[in-house]
Amino acid sequence: MTNEYDDFTLQELMAVSAAREIKDGEKVIIGTGLPLLGAFLAQKTHAPNMIAIYESGAIDCKPVVTPLSVADAVLVPGAAMQGGLMEALGLVHKGELDVGFLGGAQIDKYGNLNAHVIGDYYKPKVRFAGSGGSNDIGAGCKRTIVMMLHQKQRFPEKVDFVTTPGYFGGAGQRDKMGFPGGGPSVVVSTMGILRFHRETKEMYLESYYPGVTIEQIIASTGWNLMIADDVKETEHPSPELIRILREEIDPTGVFLKKQ
Amino acid sequence: MKVSKVMTAKEAVSKFIQDGTTMAIGSFFHTIAYDITHEIIRQEKKHLTICAPSFNDHADQMIGAGCVDRIESSYVWMEVFGPLYCFRRAMEKGIPHKIEMEDYTNFAMTVRLLAGSLGIPYVPVHSMKGSDMINYSSWRGENKVKLLQDPFGSGVAHALVPALNPDIGYIHAQRSDEEGNFQMWGILGDAPFSMRACKNVIVSVEEVVSRDVIGRDPNRTVLPGYKVVAVVEAPFGSHPKNCQGYYGVDRDFIFKYIRESQTEEGWKKFMDEWVFGVADRTEYLKKYIDTFGMKKFMDLRAKDMSSSSVNYGY
Repeated sequence: MTNEYDDFTLQELMAVSAAREIKDGEKVIIGTGLPLLGAFLAQKTHAPNMIAIYESGAIDCKPVVTPLSVADAVLVPGAAMQGGLMEALGLVHKGELDVGFLGGAQIDKYGNLNAHVIGDYYKPKVRFAGSGGSNDIGAGCKRTIVMMLHQKQRFPEKVDFVTTPGYFGGAGQRDKMGFPGGGPSVVVSTMGILRFHRETKEMYLESYYPGVTIEQIIASTGWNLMIADDVKETEHPSPELIRILREEIDPTGVFLKKQ
Repeated sequence: MKVSKVMTAKEAVSKFIQDGTTMAIGSFFHTIAYDITHEIIRQEKKHLTICAPSFNDHADQMIGAGCVDRIESSYVWMEVFGPLYCFRRAMEKGIPHKIEMEDYTNFAMTVRLLAGSLGIPYVPVHSMKGSDMINYSSWRGENKVKLLQDPFGSGVAHALVPALNPDIGYIHAQRSDEEGNFQMWGILGDAPFSMRACKNVIVSVEEVVSRDVIGRDPNRTVLPGYKVVAVVEAPFGSHPKNCQGYYGVDRDFIFKYIRESQTEEGWKKFMDEWVFGVADRTEYLKKYIDTFGMKKFMDLRAKDMSSSSVNYGY
């Protein structure tokens, strides 16, 4: 008999991959969408003592309904503390938080992120939202999890504009800035899981999703992407994790579109 | 006897918001004063500089209407809901006219307002260092941000971001008395610092209450009422956003705005209907109920999750 949770979607795999990055007891600043699903999945499974913090100032919140935005009113009742931007981003800036989530329009070889413009800053071809809290999170959190749509134009060798620095141009450069935070530790893309080389800080492919080939990932990356010697297919999520995601975390399918 | 500052949004905007003013628009997603925003648009205010850590569709509507020349912020977007098209049209194509933005980060803007609220000139932060936000400025030039080696010898350089003291600020809150001692709870966003940094403040509230109600829970007051120049009573003034204890986010309405504002024509039609086509918030509410029905309206209303009170006795 086939289990209805044997199958999983790309979004579910990404949420599970994000969840795997969080350790029990960590303090995590999360955004909406996949980061939220990943973080709450971690909390419901291997990281029950995770402290969930939202940019909007909701700290250690345990919402009973899925929040639809970082400032959803459902985050407030039941939270351990409710403040504003100063309370949440203040913790980030001080370097007290373990994990932050980032995203953007572009990411480059050394994990620098662009959330501002494609083209010239003063006459942009496309203008995006801007930093919001992402530069703050990149500077302050001990490590960051980047979630990205994996396309060639979104993975250029060098970003058009540095919104949130990763490792700048490579080894040793980030250390000179004196940031409390350590930089990106993983990129959960729509094609696979990528990490940064311990010494050179260059991004490399650690694992590829089922149904995706290494060649496709190389073709969707704007530089000559390094591949781990032990590159493998990304571990499939267990049916139990998929069940929790669908039935407990996003039962109305707000973020995980129903198949 | 103190004089009541309660007035209509129309009076408050016409009296206290001048063309060319620098204005802080308070809150982060939650409790944004759409009633005041729409009145600014109806009165066709021009050449405004708008400031906030983060902006959503309220800024987009003012940009589309041509009210805004400059933005000091970290973010203009509609979060997971999607992009804001008037902002993009203005930045990318100069429609309806070219606007400028000074890009900071959410925390940098928050501490700029904190500095403004304390009367200190700048704050050193880790944010922005090494980013292109340091390298590019729209109009502030050298005065956007400066790098300084820690004079106390930590060996680390910081980005100094300048204090911000807007001429006027406006915000939505749950309640205020007639003198402007207003109270917020739930997600405080950039409050209290954003409003404390302003010279004058307009507050729109769900309910005007007696001074006695405020005095029974004074820890919840955002700032002393003497800074407030106008109190506007506007139930559902933060719709389509939320107001803790009063109503939730109207997701459908936000998606409707994003969908319709994808074209200039669609945006104009939306604005003709929901901003120019109504005289004030009362008419807006009536139109909302007529259009979407009483059930939809009632579904937005918050359930009762009142806190236990604390003892202020001595």
